[in-house]
Amino acid sequence: MNILSYYINNFARIISALQVHVLIFLVALTFSIVIGMAISIFVTQKDRKKIGRIILSIMGAAQSVPSLVIIALVFAFVGIGIKPAVIALVVYGLVPIIFNTTSGILSVRPNIIEAGIGMGLTQNQLLWRVKIPIALPVIMGGIRSSATIIIGSATVAAVIGGGGLGDFIFIGLRMQKPEMLMSGAITVSLLAIIVDYIMAKIEKKVVSKGLQIKKT
Amino acid sequence: MIELTNVTKKFGNKTAVNNFSLHIEKGSLTMFIGPSGCGKTTTLRMINRLTPFDNGNIIVNGTPINDIDPVKLRRNIGYVIQEIGLFPHLTVFENIAIVPRLLKWDQKKIVHRVEEIIELVTLDQSFVQKYPLELSGGERQRVGLARALAAEPEILLMDEPFGAIDPINRLKLQDSFLEIQEEIKKTIVFVTHDINEAIKMGDKIAIIDKGNLIQYDDVSQILSNPANEFVENLLGQDRNIKALSLKKAKDYVLKDGFITVLDTETHETIEKKMKDKNIEIAFALDKNNHLKSRFVLEKATSNKRQKFIHNPAPWTIERQNNINETLSKMLEIGENQLPVVNRKKEFVGIIKLSNIFEEVKKKHIISEGKN
Repeated sequence: MNILSYYINNFARIISALQVHVLIFLVALTFSIVIGMAISIFVTQKDRKKIGRIILSIMGAAQSVPSLVIIALVFAFVGIGIKPAVIALVVYGLVPIIFNTTSGILSVRPNIIEAGIGMGLTQNQLLWRVKIPIALPVIMGGIRSSATIIIGSATVAAVIGGGGLGDFIFIGLRMQKPEMLMSGAITVSLLAIIVDYIMAKIEKKVVSKGLQIKKT
Repeated sequence: MIELTNVTKKFGNKTAVNNFSLHIEKGSLTMFIGPSGCGKTTTLRMINRLTPFDNGNIIVNGTPINDIDPVKLRRNIGYVIQEIGLFPHLTVFENIAIVPRLLKWDQKKIVHRVEEIIELVTLDQSFVQKYPLELSGGERQRVGLARALAAEPEILLMDEPFGAIDPINRLKLQDSFLEIQEEIKKTIVFVTHDINEAIKMGDKIAIIDKGNLIQYDDVSQILSNPANEFVENLLGQDRNIKALSLKKAKDYVLKDGFITVLDTETHETIEKKMKDKNIEIAFALDKNNHLKSRFVLEKATSNKRQKFIHNPAPWTIERQNNINETLSKMLEIGENQLPVVNRKKEFVGIIKLSNIFEEVKKKHIISEGKN
């Protein structure tokens, strides 16, 4: 009951922290998507497949680096505040997006690409009309895990001044106020679940029906 | 239409295509055949500049292809590959409409064209909203062909298009593809490793081995005059039988050696007529010329009396049937002569085993064996 009364008494504060959290999340995810897609597209272009595969193994390894390490590194180089927090989140959020987008584009079946080139598609048309739409289920998977990771890591980013719901958790910890800690943790978890649900809906909408058919 | 002059292509030290010169005529179906790695696919891919060549020249429609922007060139050449490569995220309609859209046709024209081409490849119009994963292998193959033909290219390049289809459906696809070609008369280069497919489909065959063009000629010429042992082996021991597939039942129809009677006549009158004329076979037709039954008057032998047999539902051969299918039918049912009908089932004559042999010998389809 402590948590509930804490919630009610500090509703305005929680909401404003939630807003900051969502804002950080949206900004970081947007940057991650744009930068991640750009890098993936660059490394998967014709003649660069080798770089693509190297990037793929680096990203595979990077996925196992804890978010705290990235945050600490950014803190060491950039300093403290909301900006470094966002930078750290963008860097961390890039990993699944680059990993999935690169592997998605590289795994488009060669006969499909061959047919496309043979019909007279330019490299650009091939990318935007064929490769990316076909890789979209995998790309969306990457964006979804990036979203979840950013929301979670944004909590940790509070230690370098990111603000948001992480403040409740860390302050609650330090001040030994479990109800404060719990209200932050519960809100973040709910946020993550809701965001993932929305992303799943978006994925279903943007991915071609032709790719959602289950082979019988 | 397509002219290859001294074309050479090397991959590293390996010569994939060695000094090819080949003229492909407008409206003809040319088969490239040879063992895998012989250079047939490489040659095909050089025509639409998917593979650049090192030396020589390729001219399409009077223009050297290296003077044409590859993207533009490819939009004017239909291309079908073995796994078809339909785009799984696009519907059948969108797949077929790709090249017309690239060429900026207006939507109305595209819709009309897709309708037309779906009809041509004998698919139902309801297919246009389906996705490739919802189709069978044969249907996908038809959509692939429709897609390649959509923008009305004059040239069609096909790289083992039926290779992944099971044998029964492959025969069906070959038949309907030949019918389509009869209608559209495109210049087609067709790569295959199946000699039967090459003989059945091709107007001309180019036989390729280890990057060299061994023989390029009409199918009948290749069958009767193989250039060397390699070609002979490729054609197989049964090349004389294969040669028969070039001939149709209609080429051997006989109009004599039998009599026709009306199906309303009594058996007695028919038997009498046959005995009078000393004819062993009679066919009873109705007033529309449809074959109703067959009568056979077996010769008397020392230990058998003459027998008069009535066969109310005789086997027939369609006049478009090719001769090796006809022979196979005769062997299967143990008859040495069969009545021939046209596609309206009207009686046109008979075909005799002995006559096929005579004709084949006369026309030298069967070449003189070396041994």
